[in-house]
Amino acid sequence: MFRTIFSSTFRRRAAAALALLVAVMLVLPLTLSGMPYIQNVFILAFYMTTMSLAWNLLGGMTGQNSIGHACFMGIGAYTSVLCVTQFGMNPWVSLPIAVLVTAVITGLVFSQCFILRGPYFTLVTIAFAEAVRQIILNWDFAGKAIGVGLPYVRGNNWLLFSFKDRAIYYYIAFAMMVGVYLIMKRIDNSRLGFALKTIREDEDVAAAIGIRPLKYKVIAVVISASVSAVAGFFYACYYRYIDPNIMLQSASVELVLPAIIGGSAFVEGPLVGGILMVSLSEYLRNTFGGILPGINLILYAVVLIVVIRFRPTGILGWYSHSAFRDFLEGRVLGRNMDKNGKEAQS
Amino acid sequence: MDTFLQACLNGLMIGGFYSLMGMGQNIIFGVMKIINFCHGEMLMVGMYLTYVFHAWLGIDPYLAVPLVALTMFLFGALFQHTLITPSLGTHSFTNLLFLTVGMGVLLTNVAQVIFSSDYRTITTGYSSTILSFGPVTVALPKVVSFGVLIVISIALFFFLKYTPVGKKIRAVSQNPIGAQVVGIDSKKIYMITYGLGAALAGVSGALLTLFYVINPTAGSNFGFRALIVVVVGGLGSIPGAFFAGIFLGLLETLVSLFIGPSLRTLVVFATFIVILVIRQNILLRRA
Repeated sequence: MFRTIFSSTFRRRAAAALALLVAVMLVLPLTLSGMPYIQNVFILAFYMTTMSLAWNLLGGMTGQNSIGHACFMGIGAYTSVLCVTQFGMNPWVSLPIAVLVTAVITGLVFSQCFILRGPYFTLVTIAFAEAVRQIILNWDFAGKAIGVGLPYVRGNNWLLFSFKDRAIYYYIAFAMMVGVYLIMKRIDNSRLGFALKTIREDEDVAAAIGIRPLKYKVIAVVISASVSAVAGFFYACYYRYIDPNIMLQSASVELVLPAIIGGSAFVEGPLVGGILMVSLSEYLRNTFGGILPGINLILYAVVLIVVIRFRPTGILGWYSHSAFRDFLEGRVLGRNMDKNGKEAQS
Repeated sequence: MDTFLQACLNGLMIGGFYSLMGMGQNIIFGVMKIINFCHGEMLMVGMYLTYVFHAWLGIDPYLAVPLVALTMFLFGALFQHTLITPSLGTHSFTNLLFLTVGMGVLLTNVAQVIFSSDYRTITTGYSSTILSFGPVTVALPKVVSFGVLIVISIALFFFLKYTPVGKKIRAVSQNPIGAQVVGIDSKKIYMITYGLGAALAGVSGALLTLFYVINPTAGSNFGFRALIVVVVGGLGSIPGAFFAGIFLGLLETLVSLFIGPSLRTLVVFATFIVILVIRQNILLRRA
């Protein structure tokens, strides 16, 4: 019913453009093999975007603003590292365990907390994240404030998930981001997605038409936290070392910003915001970090404030009504659109 | 017993600051229904302003309090008028939330660029004077700050209760549309409210400077505790915020005395989640 009919020209050209984009992203690390720093920026951008996509399921789609996602990621990262170091497991085995542990913890805690709405829910996510961080800070088993590290591995080792070659991390992070995006896109168009969006618009109306808000909110937070746990696993394997500071509130805030700047109402929002903002922020950190530490966060904050004030729907919200879209999709890709960006029937 | 009394006194002192922060957060949350996530950062700005007044202009920290209050009031009113008010009502709660979050990130990092992340302190001739009341001792600045803070709390209570502006603020917080119907300019009230909240945060910071280190992240501890105070003390209640702040301060120091200082934050946050969930359950059952 909601399927739009695209002209064959547009479909062909859009597919070609997409294939070209993916091809560029895949070839890129090969050309950058001498520049580990640039590769690092891309890997970080993919990781942040993945986290932002995970946040957006709960924050953008369901309307439950969490400022505790770094904690979900942290639980996943800690579980997998502790499984490896304390129980001698293979990293690949620790991944499902990490996801499971994160899902169970968040499911149990938040099934009790979703009775709270709006700002009160946000407060609980902050308090939860801080409480978990404090537990780890006081827990000998988890390395307290010093943190825990994965053992050093020589060369590229797929079995132990450790690579000397950054390009492999690049491909894994890219695959993770694209995979999570496809999952989110799928959810967006599913019954679940419509239920979540209904809850975002009005919880009481959702309840009245037979959508149980509590059930769907718990589903959303469990999926979101599980994806964060996967990202946390990747983070731990990439940096080989984690400490409780990865769960700081500022980390949670930082990974929401791509979604807000890109446009939290769109599944693609975190994708656009993440790639743009993380690369810009890392560039600034690299260039000015020595003279003016914190300059990248100032830029982040200013962009965020300006976007919220003047383009409250984010970059994609602006794009969907812009002349640039007419040019890009109408002229270049040959799409038949009317003024509102809807498909013209021709 | 002596350590217990000493802990209670320390708890009372620090709790007073949580109260004052909570009151500012309370009126902002009460009137505009937004969480002000840069409240702790505004405390930090208040601290640095006091530092600047003291180190550059030679003004005593306590004499700087009114100056800090005025500066922060203007800053808050400006922030409200140019950024928050245009986003109110028309857009989602998410945007408003992250607007204040963004402001917090901005303030912290601007402070870091200007003052670097070094720890700074203010020392005056009387800052190391110790008073002793029987078995317990307390630094003179703490007592003075606590006294000033009590006076400000009482003044705020009467301001909101009896003055025309205070009545208007309460009217807008109870029913914004009704308030507009009877001719209250709600945008102006928003400005005053946010300015007042910012001034209270700034004053808290100014009063803290003599016995607390000044650095760009000094406010984050207080910022979240102010929210706890709002939730525990009840919306719109100044006495509620006052006692909730004192309770929180006492809880913290007594937990560090009896269970251990490292578990202090954990206990506070866990208690907060439990209180929040239980309270909501009771409210729903009553409804």
